[in-house]
Amino acid sequence: MKKPNDVILQTVTTVISFIIILFSINLFFAGHYTPGGGFIGGLMTAAALVLLLLAYDVKTLNTILPFDYRMMTAAGLLIAVLTGAGALLFNQPFLTHAYDYFNLPLLGETSLHTAVLFDIGVYLVVIGVTMTIIQTIGESE
Amino acid sequence: MAFQVLLNFFLAFLWMFLTSSFTLSSFIIGYFLGLLVIFAMRRFFQTRLYILRVWAVIKLTVLFIIELIKANIEVLAIVLRPKMDLKPGVFKYDTKLEREWEVTLLSLLITLTPGTLVMDVSDDNGTLYIHALNASDIKGNVSSIREGFEKAIMEVSR
Repeated sequence: MKKPNDVILQTVTTVISFIIILFSINLFFAGHYTPGGGFIGGLMTAAALVLLLLAYDVKTLNTILPFDYRMMTAAGLLIAVLTGAGALLFNQPFLTHAYDYFNLPLLGETSLHTAVLFDIGVYLVVIGVTMTIIQTIGESE
Repeated sequence: MAFQVLLNFFLAFLWMFLTSSFTLSSFIIGYFLGLLVIFAMRRFFQTRLYILRVWAVIKLTVLFIIELIKANIEVLAIVLRPKMDLKPGVFKYDTKLEREWEVTLLSLLITLTPGTLVMDVSDDNGTLYIHALNASDIKGNVSSIREGFEKAIMEVSR
């Protein structure tokens, strides 16, 4: 079985993956006021990584992005739990979120919400779990 | 090429800081003035002026759109004809293009113009295997179209 020449798939993938990852970041930050959020953003980022896996192989992806996806899942869960536990320091019930309006340079009047930190945890967990599932299935012969 | 674009952006930012008005309109004015300066100083650059390459990309896009419309009308005529006298076939096409993105771009352009479809690329990226809807009478015609696409892509990458 000769390996086919994947030059078209690989070249298109290198261009498209940038666009998909940028779109996933946009979805992640859109979650508070418009449709989107940590879950769908994480899935979209994982989809870009899966596209890279399809065009190249597992070894190449691990040299490009040397992440341990199990540790990523653990880190995401830790961030989510710590965000919830932070409310206990201010004598509030668990998972109470705080927000305020700040004048940031470049962005102007922005509301900063601690739910974003919780969302980052969700984002990391989704990427970690998806990639762990796909890589373990892919590596088992 | 990339150096010239970066220099143009730098000159545009410099214009913004010189006029101390940080708006999009002053950036665009600075960009055009920087383009004038780069055009005046074009003998200092090793490569050709980047605006020519942008023009080549625009020409390639227009050529592609015209070919797309023409080829789709041809396919419409084939579909609506009561008697189908198609002679499908696969032929080899040797490209003179070398870089990976050029071969990819050529393959995508060939595939998106109906009547022809790239099936495979050889291992050394030198030969495309193209399936044609009408391999008998279109062969010379197709090769002339290919020369159009290939020449246009070479214009971009030269």
